[in-house]
Amino acid sequence: MTHFTKLVAAAMISATFGLTSAPAIAETPPDTLIQAWQLDDMISIDPAEVFEFTASEILGNSYQPLVGYDVNDVSDIFGVIAEKWEVSEDGKTFTFTIKPDMKFASGNPITAADPVYSIQRAVKLDKSPAFILTQFGLSADNVDQMVRQTGDMTFELEMDKAYAPTLLLYCLTATVGFVVDKELVASHEVDGDFGYEWLKTNYAGSGPFTIREWRANEVVVMERNDNYSGDTPAMARAIYRNIPEGSTQRLLLEQGDIDIARNLGAEEITALADNPDIKIEDGIKGSIYYMGLNQKNEALANPLVTQAMKYLVDYQAIADTIMKGKVKVHQAFLPEGFLGALMDNPYSLDVEKAKSLLAEAGYPDGFTVTMDTRNTPEITAIAEAIQQTMAQAGITIEIIPGDGQQTLTKYRARSHDIYIGRWGPDYQDPHTNADTFARNPDNGDDAASKPLAWRNAWDIPELTAQADAAVLESDPAKRAEMYQAMQKQEQEDSPFVIMFQEIEVLGLRDNVEGFIIGPSFNDNSFRNVTKTE
Amino acid sequence: MSDVTTRDWLLSDRPASRRQARLGQAYRTWSQLRRNKLAMVGLSIVVVLILMAIFADVIAPYDPIVGGDLRTERLLPPSWTHLMGTDDQARDIFSRIVHGSRLTLMVVALVAVIATPIGLAVGTTAGYFGGWVDVVLMRITDIFLAFPRLILALAFVAALGPGIENAIIAIAITSWPPYARLARAETMQIRDADYIAAIRLQGAGSARIIWGHVVPLCLSSVIVRVTLDMAGIILTAAGLGFLGLGAQPPQPEWGAMIAGGRRFMIDFWWVATMPGIAIFVVSLGFNLLGDGLRDVLDPKGET
Repeated sequence: MTHFTKLVAAAMISATFGLTSAPAIAETPPDTLIQAWQLDDMISIDPAEVFEFTASEILGNSYQPLVGYDVNDVSDIFGVIAEKWEVSEDGKTFTFTIKPDMKFASGNPITAADPVYSIQRAVKLDKSPAFILTQFGLSADNVDQMVRQTGDMTFELEMDKAYAPTLLLYCLTATVGFVVDKELVASHEVDGDFGYEWLKTNYAGSGPFTIREWRANEVVVMERNDNYSGDTPAMARAIYRNIPEGSTQRLLLEQGDIDIARNLGAEEITALADNPDIKIEDGIKGSIYYMGLNQKNEALANPLVTQAMKYLVDYQAIADTIMKGKVKVHQAFLPEGFLGALMDNPYSLDVEKAKSLLAEAGYPDGFTVTMDTRNTPEITAIAEAIQQTMAQAGITIEIIPGDGQQTLTKYRARSHDIYIGRWGPDYQDPHTNADTFARNPDNGDDAASKPLAWRNAWDIPELTAQADAAVLESDPAKRAEMYQAMQKQEQEDSPFVIMFQEIEVLGLRDNVEGFIIGPSFNDNSFRNVTKTE
Repeated sequence: MSDVTTRDWLLSDRPASRRQARLGQAYRTWSQLRRNKLAMVGLSIVVVLILMAIFADVIAPYDPIVGGDLRTERLLPPSWTHLMGTDDQARDIFSRIVHGSRLTLMVVALVAVIATPIGLAVGTTAGYFGGWVDVVLMRITDIFLAFPRLILALAFVAALGPGIENAIIAIAITSWPPYARLARAETMQIRDADYIAAIRLQGAGSARIIWGHVVPLCLSSVIVRVTLDMAGIILTAAGLGFLGLGAQPPQPEWGAMIAGGRRFMIDFWWVATMPGIAIFVVSLGFNLLGDGLRDVLDPKGET
């Protein structure tokens, strides 16, 4: 049926504009935005559970958070569902006031009961992203007391410590903080599951678009929300098609079967650059490509060796060729755009220096290690390039490929030598990365929290203390300094070879305007997209 | 014997020794094979493959694993400096294909060495003893035959972990059943023959009869079958490599090379096409040779 509508639309367009237009070009309907994206990682569309790049973007366009930030300057925080907020004198309690006269897509009015329910629900369900909220001392037992409704349009949120005030606000902008329609979700509750089974595949939000349908590994269909409080989007529908291969996306884009291609590789981008019907847009993302060197490995535990390895990656050549247009060289754990991000890139390929460091460390002839590599084309290509430069100093790397699940399971069990991968920040506060790269409160094998520092068995009581201090610092300038000092130290002696920051690249049809690429995936927005003829 | 040419000696219808008879038989087979043009094409392809594998270090102009400068030597089209172009890691594809022949040959040889004895042992034992031994062994064979070969190999590799050695084991495990069936059929035909009965009367044990008198008679048809299967083995190995379960990067395995080049198919056709041609040519070579050998060695095929 959709195919038929498409044909009718195409016929009408050619009738309106005469038959002078190019023959047999498939065109997407003018009020529908069609994107091709690899959607196979989606497991849910429930804000309390979503932790994947694709699903976060879909939720970002269909739900609303309490507060938001300017995607061009993340330090500018403003209310979305919240009208205003106040912090108590001891810095532990936030009081939020909800904007009046807002409605969910279902027609239910938004009151303070909804955000309170959303937060309590996320904490009690305790899915993967719940730690973003529970790190403030919230737990299933106390969340009913800590997050309390005080009036029709006001509620309070109490934390266990006086954290930097922006930390909570940034955490509330993450998908786990999105506000769900209490009345609607509660009506689908089964055996006290907070509507979890239902919301997994259904929608209860207030954003510019509603999610009409999600068919796993096939398509996500979204429709304009007529109850949306902001400007009405120009597009009546937005469709994501699951097209895993970049080259297929490119062909569809060239034919005009889709409006935006989301997984173009470096070669496709170069090839499309000359096409007048297509434009390339990019935006810097917070994700970081890095290698984690397990400190349980005797050779890798030597700080001279880890430093030598940082000299054995040809950062610039990889960024200019294999990953051209998709990454930029970045060597600190806070990505560009974050408070306190360190922009120095002290390392470049220097085989001689690395050799002398290795000789000093007692490995003049190098050694052999394994590298667990996710079998995506990009990670594999980076890994092979690194394998070659490492070999120049005698370090033999055996690549062990696996799918995301296999490599991550091994990584989380600390049984790897080297792990190469991508890390995406969970929210826009620097603590999100400091928490994982620079904190390891318990290096024991049965530790409760397993940050990246733990996964690489890097025992760092001092850095952990610094990170804990930084998160309580309320003066942003001082806080930035603290993070910079930590990043400098990590560049010296950490077992993390941080290499690149991701750049997201889109191929768009020439007539598509207004797609916003934000720093995280739930900031990517198509609500202002228009299509000119 | 000075006035007799070697050819006459070989073709003599009254061989003076066992050795002469055997050599004569081999020579007759060879001349018959030589008349088959296509089989000779196949044979030369296989010989070239073997030579290429032996002398890979001499033939290959570049290192198959360490690439050139990423900035200037990446994805170059075929030219005189890079006969088959370069891939996305700036490695010379020709050198990789030459070195890849070692892997291909290793897979083929090891699978043949592992699978043939298993198939022969199971098949001749089942055929010779009959009864419940036959039932048990052949039902096991049936179970293996009930799975599509690539799927079964995939399952084994998934369980054993990816890698060329495991791929070889998986392919070997999945390719013995046809040999067992063949050997069983042949054994059933000869087990009641008079000369077998004669040996038995002389007091030979079962193992001795099977090994010394049944196996040699089954061997020729099994060899034909193995040769015909080699193309299939190469394709299975390449299929596993393509799926990321065979040889691991940076090993220059042909199937894995195609998988890597698939991303560049539209703009840089040579990256995936060259190893594809290599697989095609070698499979064709084994098939032609196998066909020719069948014509020569299969006693039922003689007219």
